[in-house]
Amino acid sequence: MHRTEDVLATLSMIRQHKLDVRTVTMGIDLAPCASPDVTVLCDRIRTRLIHYAGRLRAVCRDVESRYGIPIVNRRIAVSPIGRVAAGQKSEGLIAVARTLDEVAAEVEVDLVGGFTALVQKGWTDSERRLIAALPEVLSTTKRVCSSVNVGTTAAGINMDAVAALGHVLLDTAERTRDHDGFGCAKLVIFGNAPNDNPFMAGAFHGAGETDCVINIGVSGPGVVKAAVEDLVAHSPTKPTLGDIAEEIKSTAFRVTRVGELIGREVAARLGVAFGIVDLSLAPTPQVGDSVGEILQAMGVSRLGGPGSTAALALLNDAVKKGGSFASSSVGGLSGAFVAVSEDSALARAVEVGDLTLAKLEAMTAVCSVGLDMIAVPGDTDAETLSALIADEVAIGVINHKTTAVRVIPVPGKKAGERAVFGGLFGEMDILAIHAPGGSTEFVRHGGRIPAPLSSLRN
Amino acid sequence: MSSYMISVTAADRVGIVYSVTGALLDLGGNVLELSQTVMRGYFTIILEADFPTPRTRDQIVEAIHERGRRFDLQVQVTEIKEPLTEPLVPAGERFILTVLGDDSPGIVHNIAGSLAAHGANIVDLHARVEGSRFSLVMEALIPHDLTPAAIRSELERYGRAHKLEAFVQHENIFAATTEPSPVRLGAALRSQGDSLASH
Repeated sequence: MHRTEDVLATLSMIRQHKLDVRTVTMGIDLAPCASPDVTVLCDRIRTRLIHYAGRLRAVCRDVESRYGIPIVNRRIAVSPIGRVAAGQKSEGLIAVARTLDEVAAEVEVDLVGGFTALVQKGWTDSERRLIAALPEVLSTTKRVCSSVNVGTTAAGINMDAVAALGHVLLDTAERTRDHDGFGCAKLVIFGNAPNDNPFMAGAFHGAGETDCVINIGVSGPGVVKAAVEDLVAHSPTKPTLGDIAEEIKSTAFRVTRVGELIGREVAARLGVAFGIVDLSLAPTPQVGDSVGEILQAMGVSRLGGPGSTAALALLNDAVKKGGSFASSSVGGLSGAFVAVSEDSALARAVEVGDLTLAKLEAMTAVCSVGLDMIAVPGDTDAETLSALIADEVAIGVINHKTTAVRVIPVPGKKAGERAVFGGLFGEMDILAIHAPGGSTEFVRHGGRIPAPLSSLRN
Repeated sequence: MSSYMISVTAADRVGIVYSVTGALLDLGGNVLELSQTVMRGYFTIILEADFPTPRTRDQIVEAIHERGRRFDLQVQVTEIKEPLTEPLVPAGERFILTVLGDDSPGIVHNIAGSLAAHGANIVDLHARVEGSRFSLVMEALIPHDLTPAAIRSELERYGRAHKLEAFVQHENIFAATTEPSPVRLGAALRSQGDSLASH
């Protein structure tokens, strides 16, 4: 018999603290679909996606029922289209995006990631055309998500691609003006993108993966927050930060185990490989499901104030430690996301002026991703957006970690006004950019920022 | 050789297990399985014992009373005539059922009735009332041809009518979150998926 206390503790994680399996993401290799004929290419993509993902919804429902744990999203990540559709003209690339969008709707997944280019060292003509097609793709499809890896520690930073992406963001935002530039929320610009990332919008099926794989994204900000609050409220003596780290670690263990169990079962039922659990504390706009609230439970009452970065570093590290003991298949990003509009506490900190873009950038040096779901003024120029991207990618490239930018210039709105994206994407006050236009010439140099030296690290 | 199931109940005191097992040892008995608990100050033990030399029920009861005279023991002895060749209850997968909420008479009875009607067998159950709050954690074998959703919806319906929350979850979820051993699926499940050939 399981101990009643253990059963009730696990149950309270699920029913009171919003533990769920955030995403079951099926990764599918599309390399065998390649064809110079766009009709053949799209037909092959359709057939292959349906072959693998046709039963995904039904299987997820069964597993959800068996364990009584919600599976919130089902998604697909495909091989980077920049390579699968190499040689296609712009119309061909857009046709592929439309096919992905249609099949995703058909197999009832909410997003499909992988309209992706990996251009950290240089770009092919196809990849250049893919990046140019992004405004059209992101504004005319519903489910297609895109990512562009513009830098790695080994290759440096492709500043030509970074410069192009500033224009892509502005064009995409303008085309989705009536939704506050929401198209940009489906584009992630990476430095050191992981190969096995199942988290949207940056998910893609990387090189070195098998034909089809089930990856899991588990998210438990509510569970971690409740554990920290409980420790602080009920400890006989004031818990140290070491005690808090231990509590987060053991909670992360339990959360990861749920992900591994569900992932293995979904994979077994589909007869495909199990990949990784990405234990990312990804917030939702709901109160109680916030990474910011975890920091507040640790005692950082004003998010963005001094101490915020240290608290986030503690949280991120403890999550990784707990997750890595729970599973040998932890991958992806596995840490804390500070997706501002999606996190009610962070969005509130922006609103009251405690959290600035500069502080967010500092915090991204120790967290899982980077500048995520951040609204900036719509009149920001392309070079300033590119410079913002370059700064964030440089943090990752120099520090051997993944960083990413998901920034949304909101057309027609200025700093302090409200951007509303809706649903899980949330809303936030638009952040001011310090000294815009001050790096135009720097960005226009283009070329490649060389790879950093790996010895003499400091 | 004779075999017996023996149960003993009494107000809890130090030394009851020592006395009961001592009585069986005096008769040459060997304990094969034993389970003991204390609930609200009352001690209960149930055990299976073998005796190489045939013993009667009366001999066993008398020996336990004699050794445990100071405890006022209630003793029940049942002879195991033939080991069960086939289980009397259906097989199934082990699920954990949890019911939490306001106390009222008949909760356990009604839930047990629902499970019995579906052929689900209760294998372990612990229920407790603290103040006006009722909690129940139960392990039950749900037959393979029955979905947990069927049990869940019935319990939820009962719960809504009686201010109770009911949950039905596979035991693997609790094993995974509370034990450091590797996450494993059952052998049957591992072979459940039709391997999708590369396309």
